[in-house]
Amino acid sequence: MDLVISILLIVMAPIIGGLIYGFERIIRARMQRRIGPPLLQPFFDFLKLADKRKIIVHSTHAFLGIVHFFSLWFALAILLLGGDLILVIFLHLLSTALLILAGYSTRSIFSHLGANRTAISILAYEPILILIGVSVFILTGSFDTSSIFNYREPLLFKLPLAFIALLLILPIKQKKSPFDVAEAHQEVVGGVELEFSGIFYGAVYAAKWLDEIFCYSLVYLFGANNPILGLGLVLFAFLYVNALDNSSARVSYKQMWRFTLMVALPVSFINLLLSILQHLL
Amino acid sequence: MKLNAFRKKSPWILHYNAGSCNGCDIEILACLAPKYDIERFGMINTGNPKQSDILLVTGPVTKRSRERLVEIYAQMPEPKVVVSCGACACTGGVFRGMYNCEGGIDQYIPVDVYVGGCGTRPEQIIDGLLQALEILAKKTKDFEESVRLKKQVGREAWQINRRNVAAEIKTVIQ
Repeated sequence: MDLVISILLIVMAPIIGGLIYGFERIIRARMQRRIGPPLLQPFFDFLKLADKRKIIVHSTHAFLGIVHFFSLWFALAILLLGGDLILVIFLHLLSTALLILAGYSTRSIFSHLGANRTAISILAYEPILILIGVSVFILTGSFDTSSIFNYREPLLFKLPLAFIALLLILPIKQKKSPFDVAEAHQEVVGGVELEFSGIFYGAVYAAKWLDEIFCYSLVYLFGANNPILGLGLVLFAFLYVNALDNSSARVSYKQMWRFTLMVALPVSFINLLLSILQHLL
Repeated sequence: MKLNAFRKKSPWILHYNAGSCNGCDIEILACLAPKYDIERFGMINTGNPKQSDILLVTGPVTKRSRERLVEIYAQMPEPKVVVSCGACACTGGVFRGMYNCEGGIDQYIPVDVYVGGCGTRPEQIIDGLLQALEILAKKTKDFEESVRLKKQVGREAWQINRRNVAAEIKTVIQ
């Protein structure tokens, strides 16, 4: 039964992600007292992009955009099937690395800047995700996400600091203000996604929807064996990320890097030490 | 499946200031703000020519900006429409005949919708954009190029060189 649900989720992931993305745009508009686009707007965007003429810089660049989408989908599939948490984190890293490679493969300066900034944001959030994964391992004795579901208590009560650390890096992962240096439409015009056009940009655009699902399923893991708690946490994270996005200005990449080093990384380290202490006692 | 219907539902706008006095640009910003909110039509101000459908130009074309204008127009993938926003972009406005201006963007690129007014009102801009959408839905994906170029666009069997350079207007417009 669980397998059926997770396979259904994996197959429907782009559709659910698109709905979440559309809902997010409405929520953001309502927070600014605007009406906002219709709920199905991301799909309209995607179909329009599929219809447009394609301008390709070179074929590898366009191909990397498509591979980015599918590798992210693959990472999401392993996460939803209850696979290895570290493997999932590294597959997600791989899919972002493909996008960075695409960014460096063109001659556009904005594309290079975006690739640099994406690499810096990876440096900012990746250690924290891995530390969270390790503390989950110490608690449950396994890296598998299925072991979190079989654990007797929700992770939120055992590792509250890990949840706080995850909340601190969620805006970096989702490229939301104040940590949206990687995308920064006013500065680097979308960064790595600048040179994509037509259906290839459609793939990168749809990968953003998958990223949403990826982030929110990481949040859901903290309330894994209590679905109401899990969905509540997802809703809380959703509102938190969007409220923060609407109410804050962009910081520079140095400030972002300093913030993750000074605040988020120590929080996840303390969390790791506490979980080791719990394990020993 | 006919995908033409979706063009009207998600037009992405590229706004280019070809030497405008910023009056029209402020009105375009007002369109994005809560009162007029053009995002309810699915429009986004992208700032990236490769992903946008509507080129919204303000200002008379100054000699400095015309090459950028032609280059940006060439970088936009078809189907695309051009909306000239304000009296200056339509005809040159008060700058018509001056030594540094060209008098209207239709000297360089084919324009689909002209929106008049010195300081266009946001209502007029929205009306012009919606008329542009009607044109966008009917357009084909045929290659469109600028009116006045220094050299012909290079075409080979498998690719089109889109690096276009605008030619000067020799005669001063009376």
